[in-house]
Amino acid sequence: MTPGYNELDLPVTLTRPLSQDQRSRGLPMMSDSDAALVARTLDGDLDAYAKLMARYRDTLGAYALHMLGTREDAQEAVQDSFVRAYRALRGCRQPERFGGWLFRIVVNRCRTMQRRLKRNRRFAESLPEGVPANGDAVASLEWREEIARALGRLRPHYREAFLLRYVNGLDYEEMAGLTGANQAALRMRVKRASDQLRELLRDVHAS
Amino acid sequence: MRRCRWLVLPILLAFSPALLQAQDRRLSDRLDPATASSVQQLVDSARAAGLPTEPLVQKALEGSTMGASGDRIRAAVAGLFSQLGRAREALGNSASEAELTAGAGALRAGLPPASLAELHRLRYHQSLAVPIAVLADLVAEGMPREQATREVFELAREGRPDDEFVALRRRVQNQKRGEPGTTEPLQRPAAAPAADPPSAAR
Amino acid sequence: MPVDHHDRSGDDLLQQVVDELRQPVRLDATVDATALERIRRMGPPADSRWRFRLVAGLAAAALAAGLLLAVFLPPREALSGLSTARAVRLRLVAPASSRVVVVGDFNNWDPGATPLRSTGRQGVWTVELRLKPGRYHYTYLVDGREWVRDPAEPPAPESDFGAPTSVLTVS
Repeated sequence: MTPGYNELDLPVTLTRPLSQDQRSRGLPMMSDSDAALVARTLDGDLDAYAKLMARYRDTLGAYALHMLGTREDAQEAVQDSFVRAYRALRGCRQPERFGGWLFRIVVNRCRTMQRRLKRNRRFAESLPEGVPANGDAVASLEWREEIARALGRLRPHYREAFLLRYVNGLDYEEMAGLTGANQAALRMRVKRASDQLRELLRDVHAS
Repeated sequence: MRRCRWLVLPILLAFSPALLQAQDRRLSDRLDPATASSVQQLVDSARAAGLPTEPLVQKALEGSTMGASGDRIRAAVAGLFSQLGRAREALGNSASEAELTAGAGALRAGLPPASLAELHRLRYHQSLAVPIAVLADLVAEGMPREQATREVFELAREGRPDDEFVALRRRVQNQKRGEPGTTEPLQRPAAAPAADPPSAAR
Repeated sequence: MPVDHHDRSGDDLLQQVVDELRQPVRLDATVDATALERIRRMGPPADSRWRFRLVAGLAAAALAAGLLLAVFLPPREALSGLSTARAVRLRLVAPASSRVVVVGDFNNWDPGATPLRSTGRQGVWTVELRLKPGRYHYTYLVDGREWVRDPAEPPAPESDFGAPTSVLTVS
């Protein structure tokens, strides 16, 4: 793909396509197995639902963690979402897209919890796991901590838009369907989040 | 049909959520209708701009209690609105309401926007509300601005918690006057034009 | 195509941020177990048609209640934050005074809202407030006649109406 700029002057390379594995950690793909597991759950097979939870827990957890800032809150959001999804499962009209339907529930749950959380609470009380990108564990830890803090400084709907777009790989149409906001507003939120993250992290990165 | 198009915008505005926002009862209860309406417009503008609204309402209520004229109340609220906007320019779009309110107070105390911006740079990963408030208070207590700025910046640079900023301010207060005000006699107001005691609501 | 004023190093930075955020996250597996436990206690998922009617009915009732509340309820700011409030004691020495009240941002500058209590000792008047962290302008009104600022706190630079006021910072 030739690097270029979209209408908001953002390099399109920033949105390079996710790999299959990465995509599966974003908005999950359609899956026949999901439909089968949903059908079995509705027949009373809770083991089937347990499999669905295990399949999506970490993907949803990543979004919730980056959105809410602490592992504790992320776990609460995901757990609540699993319960709500189960309760509403007969209303899932496309069980083959169960993952996307569940993700919408998590996004809404995070929004509700975000409103409840203190405005100035300390973000990054816990850190995402992961292999240090450059092999220097301490430096990577500090870098992840700075990222988490910078994320926490964003307004919630900017943070949400940034995560959905660049981390979960959703397009603007999918984001509009999830959030209820129009695409123009979402593009502006993504741009502002990007600008603010650059500003917040530039000095840290240089050092 | 063209005539109808001109009607669309006013009709939309008439039913827009911003206009459906009820006037703050506190304003309508305590201010004359014209002043209440003017202040409410400023409050609505602040809300639309993402600025804190409660400080504006409180400023109007302060004026009401002090018996100030509608014009004086409007001017005070408009001034605060402007300071909140300037505080956001200095502190950035991610500033919280508490930070913006403290920032407006600091600007009012005569601190330049560049001080707020520098504090933001030094302490970007923590809330700035307390450091900004302490900086403004030190200046209000009579500490030279350069000294106050230096002391607060140093704490920020070292990543000190909010409590240490408050402790700095307490030390300065104690140095200035000895014991806190529990044993101090009643101080007469300074020779400035005193506002009238509270009058009727309108 | 828009003119390229973009900061390339900033884009590299953002890409690194995104790459970091895409790293795997492992939540505790007890999340599933706890959710399952709650689900077992709930029973099977409800029929969506009945749920829709119930939800629609509740939503209509909530809308009606919300419209009523919007007319009569104080602003959101006045209701929030009580769970993070701190106890703050205000004191003023005012011998030979018969009534002292405090007015400020925390009580809508209402002279009838927050009277101080005389301790009976050396003319000390006091009141305890519960305030959430923030910055508050306030002053005292003594005997309904005289505005007196709190000498224990810094003077507020924002005195717009001629009366001396103080500023209290609660952290």
